[in-house]
Amino acid sequence: MTSAIHPTPTDRYPTATSTLQARTEHDIQARLEAHKASPQEHTPDGPVLQRNAHLQFLLRNLVQGFPARYMSQDASQPWLFFWTLQGFSVLSVGLDEQTRQRSINTIMALQHPLGGFGGGPGQSPHLLPTYASVCALAIVGRNGDNGGWDQIDRKKMYDLFMSLKQPDGSFLVSHHGEVDVRGIYCLLTVATLLDILTPELVAGTPEFIASCQTYEGGFGSASFPDWALANDGQIQDASAPRPPLGEAHGGYTFCAAASWILLQPYVKTYYPAKGLPTPTINYAGLLRWLTQMQGLEIELGGFKGRTNKLVDGCYSWWVGGCVALVEGFLGIGKSAEGEGDDGADGEHAWADVDDSLFSRKALQEYVLIAGQHSAGGLVDKPPKPADAYHTLYCLSGLSAAQHHVVPSDDRRADLLKAWQDPTDSSGDLAAQVRKLAFVDTLCWKEDEGTAKYFGGATNRVNATHLLTNLTATHAEGMMAHFYNQTLPRKGAKA
Amino acid sequence: MSYLSSEDDVAPLLYCERPEWQDVTPISQYEAVSSPIAPIFYTPEYKDATNYFRGVVKTGETSERVLELTERIIRMNPAHYSAWQYRYRTLLATNAPLDVELKLMDQIAAHNMKTYQVWHHRRLLITQLTSASLAKDPVDTATAELEFIGNVLALDTKNYHTWSYRQWLLAHFDDAGLWLGELPYVDDLLLEDVRNNSAWHHRYFVVFGRGSRSQATPAEEGEVLQREIRYVKDKISVAPNNPSAWNYLRGILEYSNTPFSTLLPFTEPYTRAYVQPTDDVVDLDNPKPSSDATLPCVAALDFLAEAYVRAGGDGVGKAVELWKQLANEHDTMRKKYWEYRIKEALEGKTN
Repeated sequence: MTSAIHPTPTDRYPTATSTLQARTEHDIQARLEAHKASPQEHTPDGPVLQRNAHLQFLLRNLVQGFPARYMSQDASQPWLFFWTLQGFSVLSVGLDEQTRQRSINTIMALQHPLGGFGGGPGQSPHLLPTYASVCALAIVGRNGDNGGWDQIDRKKMYDLFMSLKQPDGSFLVSHHGEVDVRGIYCLLTVATLLDILTPELVAGTPEFIASCQTYEGGFGSASFPDWALANDGQIQDASAPRPPLGEAHGGYTFCAAASWILLQPYVKTYYPAKGLPTPTINYAGLLRWLTQMQGLEIELGGFKGRTNKLVDGCYSWWVGGCVALVEGFLGIGKSAEGEGDDGADGEHAWADVDDSLFSRKALQEYVLIAGQHSAGGLVDKPPKPADAYHTLYCLSGLSAAQHHVVPSDDRRADLLKAWQDPTDSSGDLAAQVRKLAFVDTLCWKEDEGTAKYFGGATNRVNATHLLTNLTATHAEGMMAHFYNQTLPRKGAKA
Repeated sequence: MSYLSSEDDVAPLLYCERPEWQDVTPISQYEAVSSPIAPIFYTPEYKDATNYFRGVVKTGETSERVLELTERIIRMNPAHYSAWQYRYRTLLATNAPLDVELKLMDQIAAHNMKTYQVWHHRRLLITQLTSASLAKDPVDTATAELEFIGNVLALDTKNYHTWSYRQWLLAHFDDAGLWLGELPYVDDLLLEDVRNNSAWHHRYFVVFGRGSRSQATPAEEGEVLQREIRYVKDKISVAPNNPSAWNYLRGILEYSNTPFSTLLPFTEPYTRAYVQPTDDVVDLDNPKPSSDATLPCVAALDFLAEAYVRAGGDGVGKAVELWKQLANEHDTMRKKYWEYRIKEALEGKTN
């Protein structure tokens, strides 16, 4: 089945939005023409991932550093580390011992005496840099002296998290800071990785996340709390309106959906035990909104972040990765394990194997054709320059489009069987939450043999653990350490 | 008011060159790390100011000169959240006049609209200014804020932080008069660009976000719903291929538990391949697609299928037919999604 390339219809009623949209479509099509005319950009199999150019870009950033225009990222230094280090991970490149140690030393200089990490040395603790620092340590760190992991002050970090907690179940990103679901995603990921996720910490958080879903189906940045609060500042009226602040947005939607899934160990355990009604979100609306964000053929199937906005390479991950995450969580399109033919090409092969709710092929096409900069690094859209942020999120999105990473029943059973808890507090709800946090997070694994590489298998990038945006190996290594568990070997393919 | 920096072009001295700062020990960033990874190449001015900032934070000084220092950092890097945070603490500790601070923010915000901290700082200031005992009149303050926000949105009509700040402001003050002014404001923005999704979201926030708090009677609620349905129909008719408007329509029907099928007479003409010639009678309740419309409209097919499948019975078969058209002809990028809807419907899941 083929379809002609149509521009987004404007009904001959141009507005600022449609004019900008048309210009973007023109730019993307111009890039496509340039791509076709450029022999080094493709093989007979399709577009080529310019792996070497991107590695050089990452290496330059890591070793030489960033030019002065990155001064605006001075309060996001751990993000620069994470984007760069995880970029290497996605491209399957490991770092030498010395670089890893330098990385650990740099990151640890950002830990704050009050717990958590700041955006740079001497900067206040903040949830976003805390996520980026901990994830960067998952990549380069290790246990033992100077390895980073054992130098994270988890007690103080937990106290910091509790000090940021708000009565409506949300968290400030920093003291005197704002509330939004990015911060909550960062907190939940860190708490899950480091084994400090407690029922006390996340009480009320599922309800907060649910309140951020908008009428469009995606999630906004936060919700308005005060109408539900009594004079003493506690939640009084659970049915009072808590309207979302801001429209449905790709970045917030990823953070909200991943938070929702990270909260399930608590939700599944606590609400039934306490006889409380389980909070819900509108999954159907979420799936519709997520899939609506994929651009048309003329936009090469890249993703947008909001209705009537433009495609942007970073939403390859925030929205493309989120479809993969939510459909995996809901068990949609689940194939029997071991099915599929790795690497086959051609239109029919795609139609049969592409059992996701979005076009995985088109998303790969966008990243490979519109997302790559000829000088290395990846971009929002042509003709923009490459930057550290878009480089990682384009690559992560490419990964989510290539690989099926889903919760595996077999892996889950193995993890449960191997679970060790010497305190043996089986009746304890907190212990149950802890076990499920470990098992439910690490049971996500690649559905073997179902990966599809547009442009051929040489374009393969590493599979990404969709909840954390780490590789599975790094998430496993860190969690096994902090939960003090021995991971069962991954079952050989039947 | 030394911390209200002047706009002249003379480069200010570095802090390390200023005698009045000699008592502060600057702290360079990576004192203890020999060769940090991924370093940023700072300008000398920025490096100097942040060295002194770290020095000040270490001693815990809160004074007027800290306001000058943090302003200088913020002007160079408005995303420096620690500088904002420390500035706010210093304002409170020194009992600085917050209305003066707000004026300064007017200027800074206009240049840094996309920074979280700019808007959050305003929110802290406005909360303080209207909660203290010598409070400014809340409604006057909020009215002035709305005007300021309006000026900023005029430059960037989809700025996320600005919109969410506007919504917070309205809910925080929750004043009937303030709410009333919002609909005409949204109308203007949608007249200018009917595809502005931020404006549609704001409309939903204003009309439905307060839920039961609006204290409308059921009859009044019904009138509001009819008014909104009528409004969105008109907007759809001028530019049918506008997902923002259709999403709004779906949203308000779901909010009010109104069956989608009540909109069948309106929707059907948008799902045909061309505009049917009107047979003299103009149906004011169901405006037709404009003669320039590109038809059939994907969002209308989506809506119609949803209406059918929710109605159940033989509607399921009709929905499946529409989804097939979407999957194979009109919206091929979402083929997999439409096929999923077909599968779910045929398995009896109403989704």
